[in-house]
Amino acid sequence: MIAIAAIPLLYLIKRGSEIDRASLTNLLFRDRTIEIYTTTILLASIVLLFSFIVGSTFAWLIYNVTLPFGSLPIILSVLPLAIPSYVLTYAWISIYPGFKGFWAAVLVLTLSTSPYVTLVAVASLRRIDFTQVEAGRSLGLSQLAVLRRVIWPQMRVSLSAGLLLVFLYVLSDFGAVSLLGVNTFTRNIYTMYRATFDRNGAAVISLALILLAIFIIALEFRLRGRRTVIKSNAGIVKTHVKIKVGWLRWPLLTLIFTYALLALGVPFWVLTTRFIQNTENIDITSLISATFSTVIASFAGAILAMALALPLGILLARRSGFIPKLAESSILLTHALPGVVIGLALVALSSKFPWIYQTLPVLAFAYALLFLAKAVGSIRASLQRIAPILNDVSETLGITGFAAFRRVTLPLAAPGILIGFLLVLLTAMKELPATLMLRPTGFETLATEIWAATSISKFNEAAPYALVLIIIAAIPTFILTRPDKSDSQAQSEGLIQ
Amino acid sequence: MTSLEVHELTVHFDGRPIVENLSIVVPSGAFAAVLGPSGCGKTTFLRSIAGLITPSSGTIRFGKQLVSISSLVLPPNKRHIGYVPQEGGLFPHLNVAENIGFGVSKNEKIDVVDEMLDLVGLKNLATRKPYQLSGGQQTRVALARALAIKPQIVLLDEPFGALDAALRNELREEVCNLLKERKTTALMVTHDREEALVSADIVALMRHGQILQYGSSRNVYSNPISPEIAVSTGDVLLLKAERDASKSIRFALSQIDLKGEIELGQLVIRPEEIIVSPEPSAASLSAIVTKVDYYGHDAVLQLLLDSWPDEEITARIAGPLGFSVGQKLWVKHAGPIRWFELPHKK
Repeated sequence: MIAIAAIPLLYLIKRGSEIDRASLTNLLFRDRTIEIYTTTILLASIVLLFSFIVGSTFAWLIYNVTLPFGSLPIILSVLPLAIPSYVLTYAWISIYPGFKGFWAAVLVLTLSTSPYVTLVAVASLRRIDFTQVEAGRSLGLSQLAVLRRVIWPQMRVSLSAGLLLVFLYVLSDFGAVSLLGVNTFTRNIYTMYRATFDRNGAAVISLALILLAIFIIALEFRLRGRRTVIKSNAGIVKTHVKIKVGWLRWPLLTLIFTYALLALGVPFWVLTTRFIQNTENIDITSLISATFSTVIASFAGAILAMALALPLGILLARRSGFIPKLAESSILLTHALPGVVIGLALVALSSKFPWIYQTLPVLAFAYALLFLAKAVGSIRASLQRIAPILNDVSETLGITGFAAFRRVTLPLAAPGILIGFLLVLLTAMKELPATLMLRPTGFETLATEIWAATSISKFNEAAPYALVLIIIAAIPTFILTRPDKSDSQAQSEGLIQ
Repeated sequence: MTSLEVHELTVHFDGRPIVENLSIVVPSGAFAAVLGPSGCGKTTFLRSIAGLITPSSGTIRFGKQLVSISSLVLPPNKRHIGYVPQEGGLFPHLNVAENIGFGVSKNEKIDVVDEMLDLVGLKNLATRKPYQLSGGQQTRVALARALAIKPQIVLLDEPFGALDAALRNELREEVCNLLKERKTTALMVTHDREEALVSADIVALMRHGQILQYGSSRNVYSNPISPEIAVSTGDVLLLKAERDASKSIRFALSQIDLKGEIELGQLVIRPEEIIVSPEPSAASLSAIVTKVDYYGHDAVLQLLLDSWPDEEITARIAGPLGFSVGQKLWVKHAGPIRWFELPHKK
């Protein structure tokens, strides 16, 4: 399993090592590469900062303030997950043709990534025992002091993992930066691969990107410290009293509405108007076949990911020791592999084997690798929530091994596993660069159709595909946006992976 | 049913001995209670009998069958024990009937589940999920599930811990009767001294991974082997005492004259062994009430003897309370004299 996860990396290292030293130095340290480094890190850091502000503010509002309209605020602040960053970018460009460059990318990526922070923060806030907040207040702490001294220490770890996700998202984002002309690693790798088929050079740049990602992951691991969510006592009924803010709730709600307008309203308006203006030109057959391809490829990827993740999740949830540690690091490693890098590695690797080159299984495998960490995260979290005593009881009743797994573990973990599946499915539907590089010839998904049209500014043609993609991606997202209804632990664990 | 024999059992956890050289015998069909404070190792002990923890040395026998010798152990699924963990440990995804039938083979399932539902009186709740049950019902289901596999021995880990007082007494009686009727060998661990004394045939007192004393409830209560043990089975009045070569003992309530060399020690007296009366009688001493703790069914009085002002005496009296603070009354001692040497100074 670990070996499988490491295949693309090993391949890249091999290709990278085929370059002679002089051109290696040249490639890595020429001005252009330095510029790419700076741009990528700067972009990721600024987006991280903004999405932290947006996401944690929204989470705080949702968790702690009585806002009107029930669960609408949380749905609005998380639903943008369903909109791929390239679709959001395309929507913005089409209403505002001068939309381009670094700050445009900051805006789009902040809009796309803050739902992750919101979701993770809300989930970890909900895990905090509210009696601790009440105890803090009764000991004379102000709301703000409670936030700083009681709540923050307990949500720091999850939040930090959520922010890591944002950073990695920006590192691996391909669609938005390409459309906006911002020269980051991913765009550079793709261009090198396309323009010159310079695979050794692309492999070297990919390795540099992976190193950067690994560095960030290690840094986050260092900084996060230990997770400390402490339940005061089992059996206490948590009556969570939200703050009543009176008229102030309207301006607060406006914050969320403004965000939703920028992240949801703009693309929705653009897509529907373009769609309506252009109804007679829609190629119904290719729309249907692209939808079908998207569903097929993402299902195949999600199923494969779950199949690979299940043994890993069990290993990580149950046992401690060397092997799980190794597995954990190798899964973290897949974190650090952006779609364009996996795409590159698998293209080059599979082109050696004509019978699998550009076939659906390779694409599904790419999806599985890309989203393995998400799958493992949700499986592990849902397994860890099963009380160990249940397995003990089952053993004393004579049921062990696979039978116990089938009759106790699996049914209890099923909701969490399902959430993990949905998460992978959703992300696979939106995936662009690996799909572009690995799809079988003539196999067009919604994502590739959107890309084909938008990259040559044929916005009208892209609209129906984008609309369909958003609608089908909205279904799993909608389920995920209800942490109150669904298995929120598994979901947030899956997300932060 | 079968007996349980544990011989010199030692269990380590994280390199620390949790259970140390522990031996106990529970005869076939008896109900034994291991009584100890939290952290004394009683759950670890129970789990090693169940086979869920591997001991580092010692043997465990079920009747003639050796199930554990040193760290060679029979796995829990081969032991045929009925394990009732704390708070029941019901499978949350299965209903009552499915929980009960979990360990029963397919062809027996319907009959056994039916029988067990009858036994614990939950026939009408067979299709409920655990979260729809009250705490007492959950305990009943957990017991039924354990009994359904016709276990050799039933192990109960604080089975009534999560229940409120009224339900606790009722369910305890019901469970004990049920286990006794079926002549089930059972071992319960608990930190509640009343629970242990009232329900068990044999009480074992556990401290720091060892069993310090065991025997019938009455025996461990009235013949404690040390003042510490006496405290763990009930309230204790610890009094200074002196005795001479002829073993005559002088203390607060028996102020006789001693002869020759005098040895210092202490006495363990139960508060209910102090007889209190508003009128003087033979050998009674006068005292003043300094404090009254009223419990409803009984009360505890703190008394100061006129003749022995340096130690306060507590007395437990039953029934309607006729005493108040400052009142004068007469006391005498009616019970065994339990002499213990003074603890060695370290």
